Amino acid sequence: MPTTTHHRSLRQNRRGLSNIIVVVLSLVILVVIVSNVILWSYQMNQLDWDKTQETVTMNSVSRLTRSSWFTVQSEFGINAGSRTSGSYIDTQTMNDTYERFRESWFPYRLDIDGTFSIDVSNSPLAYIQSLEILLRYRVSDTSERWYIEAYNWTSRIYSSNGFNSTGGHAPSVGWNTYSVNLTDEWQSYLSSDGRMFIKIHDQGVDGTRTTMDIDFLAVRFTTDGAIFTFQNKGSRTVHFVSLWINNSTHHRRYDVDEFVNSGEAFSYQRLDVSLPNGSFNIRAITERGNTAVYTGA
Amino acid sequence: MLKIWLNKKAITPVLSTVLLTVITVAGMSIAITATYVITGNLKETMGERFIVEDVWFRTGVISLYLRNTGKTALDVAAIYVDHESQSIASLHLEPLNHDWLNLTYDWSPDTVYHINIATSRGNQVADHYTSP
Repeated sequence: MPTTTHHRSLRQNRRGLSNIIVVVLSLVILVVIVSNVILWSYQMNQLDWDKTQETVTMNSVSRLTRSSWFTVQSEFGINAGSRTSGSYIDTQTMNDTYERFRESWFPYRLDIDGTFSIDVSNSPLAYIQSLEILLRYRVSDTSERWYIEAYNWTSRIYSSNGFNSTGGHAPSVGWNTYSVNLTDEWQSYLSSDGRMFIKIHDQGVDGTRTTMDIDFLAVRFTTDGAIFTFQNKGSRTVHFVSLWINNSTHHRRYDVDEFVNSGEAFSYQRLDVSLPNGSFNIRAITERGNTAVYTGA
Repeated sequence: MLKIWLNKKAITPVLSTVLLTVITVAGMSIAITATYVITGNLKETMGERFIVEDVWFRTGVISLYLRNTGKTALDVAAIYVDHESQSIASLHLEPLNHDWLNLTYDWSPDTVYHINIATSRGNQVADHYTSP
């Protein structure tokens, strides 16, 4: 039997055990080399390849002075008068589709209020400069003025104290636009969680029972931020990690944590980034180490 | 067993086999350790990547903002401006970390400088930067 002969020969060979140990430990060395050098080299090559495949551009940068509109998210409360048609949904877009209210039977009064919520999780109060309320409406009787008030969380009453316009709005025939700015008193009218109660009421008792159509009622904040538009033209998802706003005197870095899918454009809003006056240079850095550059003025 | 005890020469092959085995194991252990250390260093050197996010020329100072984009921690060992070594404070960056590195340098306006940053493992990132 050749196998038996081979085993006997191995047992009789004093160096047989050493040969086995050398072979086994050589295999261990081989495994160490393969895992530490060859596989690692493959990983790093992949990392470098991914970096070369990353192509990002910054298409535009603009100042952000106003937020989007925050509209009412539930039906208006009616303190005087009644709702005759439509719903609060109709007041969320400016499209001539309206919610209609009518003054109460004598005395002819209309007094409604709604709850508005500003997204303070994405728009911290620290970056809000003021608030604006916009009302688009029409009335059947143009002889009386209409007022916008907001709930003052300090004095705990509805008020227009501190508004840039406190005298109400005299409507004309057709659609009217009435906007008020809460100036630097805005913090009294906005709760810490972003809620705001807005009231609309007529001038007082008169001789005509008026119908009011509200096409749009919303609030927005003014700020001094920036909007950046990135485009990922590469084949890999991009992770932006840094944003640099540089000019001749200052270099300011901001942390970023945004992913942009391959082939997609992405609009990135920052309220805490104030663009400098004059010429500036903006750079967005990706996690792989690539840079998107924008030069503006 | 009795046969082995009675055989005066039996101890020699056993001893020689044990000795040979010990020598082999010791030798291979040294070889494995050396391989592990050498390839480990090589692995760390290969895994080192970093970028310069920003270069800011300030009065008497050039500030460099570095980001470790590799897979291993790195230490900045030297900086050369126009091929001249500059003294710097130590900077250690773990993977994904980033920080300023300030370099005291009396730079001139509107001048191109070649800045070379070298790590303790010998990797380098070099580029030209124009002062404002």
